[in-house]
Amino acid sequence: MSAPQAGTPSYIGRRMPRAEDTRLLTGRGVFVDDIALPGMLHVAFARSPIARGRIRSIDTSAARELPGVHAVLTARDLARFNIDLISFFLVSPSIRIPPLAEDRVLYVGDPVAMIIAQDRYLAEDAAGLVTVDYEEEDPVVTIADARRGSLVHAGSESNVAAASGAEEPDEDLEALLTSAPCLVRHTIRHQRIAQSPMETRGVVVAAHGESELTVYISCQSPQMAARYLSMAFGIPQTGIRVISKDVGGSFGLKVQPWREEIAVVAAGRLLARPLKWIEDRHENLSASNLAREQEIALRIAFDEAGSILGSHVDYDLNNGAYPHGPDSNLAAMMFFWAAHRMPAFGFRARGWYTNTPGLGAYRGPWAIESLARETALDIAARRLGIDPIELRRRNLITKADQPLTTPLGIRLEDITPAECLDLLLQKVDVPAFRAEQAAARAEGRYLGLGITTYIEPTAGSAGISVLSTDVAQLRIEPTGKVSAVLSTHSQGHGTQTTMAQVIAERLGVAFEDVTVYEDDSSRGGFGAGASGSRQAVAGGGASIKAADLLVDKVRRIAAHLLGADPAHVRIQSGRIHVDGAGEKTCSLRELAEIAYGEPERLPAGMEAGLEAQYRYRPPPVTFTSAAHACIVEVDPDTGFVKIRRWVCSEDCGVMINPAVVEGQIAGGVAQAIGTVLLEEAGFDARGNPIAVTYKDYLLPAISDVPDFEYVHASTPSQAEGGFRGVGEGGCIIGPPTLVNAIADALSPFGELAPLELPLTPARILEVIEKRPLSGASPASSPQAGQPSPPSVPHSPPPPVEKPTGTRPTIDGLWKMVLATPMGLQQFTARLAANADLLTGTLQSEMGSQDFTGTIEGNALRWDLKVSKPMPLTLKYDVRIEGDRLTGKVKMGLFGTAKLTGERVPE
Amino acid sequence: MKPAPFDYVAPDTIEDACKHLTEAGGGATVLAGGQTLMPLLALRLSQPFILVDINRIAALKGVSRTDGGTRVGPMTRQNEIIANSTLAAALPLLVTATRHVGHWQTRNRGTIGGSIALGEPAAELPATAIALGARVEARSARGTREIAAADLYIGPYSTALQPDELITAIRFPEWPAGTLPLFREVAQRPGDFALVGLTGAVTVEDGRISRAGIAWFGMGPTPVRASQLEKALLGQRVAGLDVQALAELAIAETAPFDDHHATAEYRRTVGRRIFARTVSEQLQPRNAT
Amino acid sequence: MSQHNIQVTVNGRLHTATVEGRLTLSDFLRVEAGYTGVHIGCEHGVCGACTVIVDGQAVRSCLMLAVQADGSSITTVEGLTAPDGTLHPVQQALRDEHALQCGFCTPGVVMTLAALTSGASKPAARTLLDALSGHVCRCTGYQGIRRAAIKLAGEPGAKK
Repeated sequence: MSAPQAGTPSYIGRRMPRAEDTRLLTGRGVFVDDIALPGMLHVAFARSPIARGRIRSIDTSAARELPGVHAVLTARDLARFNIDLISFFLVSPSIRIPPLAEDRVLYVGDPVAMIIAQDRYLAEDAAGLVTVDYEEEDPVVTIADARRGSLVHAGSESNVAAASGAEEPDEDLEALLTSAPCLVRHTIRHQRIAQSPMETRGVVVAAHGESELTVYISCQSPQMAARYLSMAFGIPQTGIRVISKDVGGSFGLKVQPWREEIAVVAAGRLLARPLKWIEDRHENLSASNLAREQEIALRIAFDEAGSILGSHVDYDLNNGAYPHGPDSNLAAMMFFWAAHRMPAFGFRARGWYTNTPGLGAYRGPWAIESLARETALDIAARRLGIDPIELRRRNLITKADQPLTTPLGIRLEDITPAECLDLLLQKVDVPAFRAEQAAARAEGRYLGLGITTYIEPTAGSAGISVLSTDVAQLRIEPTGKVSAVLSTHSQGHGTQTTMAQVIAERLGVAFEDVTVYEDDSSRGGFGAGASGSRQAVAGGGASIKAADLLVDKVRRIAAHLLGADPAHVRIQSGRIHVDGAGEKTCSLRELAEIAYGEPERLPAGMEAGLEAQYRYRPPPVTFTSAAHACIVEVDPDTGFVKIRRWVCSEDCGVMINPAVVEGQIAGGVAQAIGTVLLEEAGFDARGNPIAVTYKDYLLPAISDVPDFEYVHASTPSQAEGGFRGVGEGGCIIGPPTLVNAIADALSPFGELAPLELPLTPARILEVIEKRPLSGASPASSPQAGQPSPPSVPHSPPPPVEKPTGTRPTIDGLWKMVLATPMGLQQFTARLAANADLLTGTLQSEMGSQDFTGTIEGNALRWDLKVSKPMPLTLKYDVRIEGDRLTGKVKMGLFGTAKLTGERVPE
Repeated sequence: MKPAPFDYVAPDTIEDACKHLTEAGGGATVLAGGQTLMPLLALRLSQPFILVDINRIAALKGVSRTDGGTRVGPMTRQNEIIANSTLAAALPLLVTATRHVGHWQTRNRGTIGGSIALGEPAAELPATAIALGARVEARSARGTREIAAADLYIGPYSTALQPDELITAIRFPEWPAGTLPLFREVAQRPGDFALVGLTGAVTVEDGRISRAGIAWFGMGPTPVRASQLEKALLGQRVAGLDVQALAELAIAETAPFDDHHATAEYRRTVGRRIFARTVSEQLQPRNAT
Repeated sequence: MSQHNIQVTVNGRLHTATVEGRLTLSDFLRVEAGYTGVHIGCEHGVCGACTVIVDGQAVRSCLMLAVQADGSSITTVEGLTAPDGTLHPVQQALRDEHALQCGFCTPGVVMTLAALTSGASKPAARTLLDALSGHVCRCTGYQGIRRAAIKLAGEPGAKK
């Protein structure tokens, strides 16, 4: 493939002004609420005022009679669509998730009826006229409630939504921890966070008959939304066109359409009228999926010199009633110690159903690993009397240690947290700060310094089918200008700029001559858009590869037309030049006109036009590393925190646009500041949300966020272009950096333990005064460092029937689907029975593998050892009924997955 | 979040406004700057039958000097208060306190009368009106009366104003030259309601306190006048004030509560501290002897 | 539920309409007048995205009724750009400083800065930054917004 076009101004690495900005600055952007269609009606929802109860009856008659109201719909009206609210990984949930509440409501704000009216004012008037008779029940609100309370989802075995990790304590690890020279215990209770994009969710739908839809939606990828809608409704994706031009932020909230959007699409199909629903802020803060409510108890054992000997994590995550996907946050466990020398690690992680809004994604969903690890390391440093920077150096994996594979199977080749730390310390004079800190303390002023490191898996695609690939379709138009249709999507990411920079540089054309389109699912192909800090890596890689294909074609045509060697042809600023033959030149436009309009002048057999497409598969994961430092001053009279300085040293590989990179980091760190100091989407004991406006849900203001300083390391990655992701990092490393700075400032008074977020002034003053001031209830904290009581089973017993006495026909070829949390995995297995002995061969993408097992009646059991993504023994437990099979597969630390299958006729 | 239906009138005169309020028989709500009322309407927490918009009544606007002090029209916008030179000279505390109300954009609409009539317990202006000894002129079709700001607040968002009454003036007494403002607000972000707020005016003559008006906001179900403190300060030498000892007295009449932003005990603790800090920073340096 | 005839000049163009008393100015500007650059972020006056200039004053358009704007002159973000497309100095400064990402809060930020810098003398950076505390941006951490404000201010320094 071609190298970048020599001699063309380099766009990669430049702070190009953004292509998006002109329309956005002049009010000419197109957000979903800016769409108006002829005959369009407006939707409002009547929502549950109670957190849990049975619906005895719904009376919609008064609402229907209000002039201007076209329809009032309940779950019964949408039943005919058989809607399947799958997860982001396109897996069907194990619980029933109806778009509108059926016989039960499961959280305050649960949508019960939808009103369709002439305008939103009337729709809200009518929503107030819907009367519902509820039989109220005591709700399950907190994780502690979920452990002991009644079942959130009737018919499930427990309130455990998902589980991973070791079911029983590992005796060796326990012995190691309890006998270690220093054992540090750390407990964190993390509050619920509202993703809070400034544009709320919203959808406009126009149905064109039964199987054709145009949907305008605020989302993270029109391609993903179209695929999701197709699967949720069971209609062909070819009939669904999703358009999403400008999106006012998302941060994980809009990663998939959810109950309300789906209900609106269903109603649009039902009524055959264009419909609009724009979530209002009250709905957004009270009834949208939220994130992050979790508890963690961490133990770390050290030797006297501060080397880590082992660690254990006990972790619980509030999944709410209807999570986007049941989640025990396995990613947090996988990456917890990935950048450290960690001889022995164990964990137990569980997600819990409660009567609160469902768990959604939020920027760096696994961020608890950095928060827990980095804050505990500082506690350990104080306990051991070792400088926190030195403690990190003793345990971090450096460049010299790599490549290596971590005990959890993560391959590390180029992580650089230790190197980022070195660069950070060139900018932050720690000895000078310590002197200033000592002098300030003598005056009764309390300064603190927090320093942290982390690595972040970006553009992870291994084993996650929806994140595997991205596509770029490039066209040099007959006018010589370039159209790029990409599967990227911006909710503020600026991909219309960054991708154009990549393409312009690679093609050798002016940046202004490249236009990126990513707003319409009917143009281009599937890609998941923004998710997991992937777009620079996956979209950038696809853009480079597609551009290279085009360059190659241009060279061949130019060589043919100009009588030159293709190797000597280059494109510079939109003109074709031939090295060593200055007279042989033409414009890209002239060449394009020939390629489209006079194909007979092209080399024999060449396809006309100048179009190329490349679907790029990035490396399984690309790591970004960083080290941050923050300096704060804590007011000992009020508990207020002033952030005086924040330095970000990060390695996100080759930067496409440093201003965009810094914007991503700054936005993430600002959100981190909100998480640590301000934001809390809390609930009272009855499950009522207590922060339903921006007067109570406190977002950081300009005065809360300092000027950030940056150091960029820029180690090229192995991905095409050398890029690494940078979207989530600030939100992951930010919280522990700020907490550590505050804890350092408070160290003369005591530890911030247990750590309860947000660190309100009252909580901080509590540490200073050593008496209760914040009203935090210690009852809701997890038992610090103790393994949780064993009264509740770790994972839900699988819904497997007892074996029956009669043996079905086992022999033959079976097609099976395993529903893992990361998506569906399909494979085939040939089974053969020989008395009570089972033999078989499993055939998948990864290859084929033989196994043996046992047969008892219709019950089959076998074990399969796999090496990817890590060494694991998969325990299959399957029942055969005729030509179908069902069962479960225990996947070690990864929890249990449902297996279904059917016989393949031969 | 759209308001429920209501009738809307925008009278040009006080008399007309009072007539509408009387006719509505308690079903009317007065729309002043709207910076608090409009969110309540949008959330449908307030659903009046009729909204009486007083923004077109010229007689309710402006600042004037009177015999006994300063008259401020209730429809004077908060940013007009901040920019007013008469008030800067006569009532610097009012100007300082108003700078902390909401945001610059909301102060362009928000009015002093609206804030005082609403009686948000954590707001700056009701407490400042109490501290400065303001009296509120209330007019209805039945007549006109004056209510001391200190008597105006009877509970959270609840005032002694009758449903048919309209605030037509806020009268501030004269505070002599040598009066110093004391003001400190502890809030998580600019524009937020206070976790704890202290507002006061202290007149110092020959190094001794001759007059003091001090009130708290965010420290109870209503703004709270620190009357015991006011009495204790009279006649004291500023330089010799034992602020630590006075701090307990300063919060003696407060009745803060727990909410999800802070506990009552936090508010009392910080109240004592900011009283001491504010006096020592804003009062004592200017009266060193 | 009363109906009212109003006349409002928006970006120099006279709009007449009959509106319900309860219609907010923000909804009027977006839906009736067609200025969708007025963004509705919270509808309770905190986020600032809907800020417009009414008779020279920057105000939250979600905290005014349309009927209250009868007879007034309003500028929205669409009204700042020159007819030839040249950006207003505030818009240009925000663009130069990478002060936006998703752009949803941006029109409000533009209107506050435009209102404050419209006079003959430029206000201090402190004044601009204080006023910007009335806008919530969830994307940028305010870095570029602060740089742009300092650039637009009449005197240097006075940061934070």
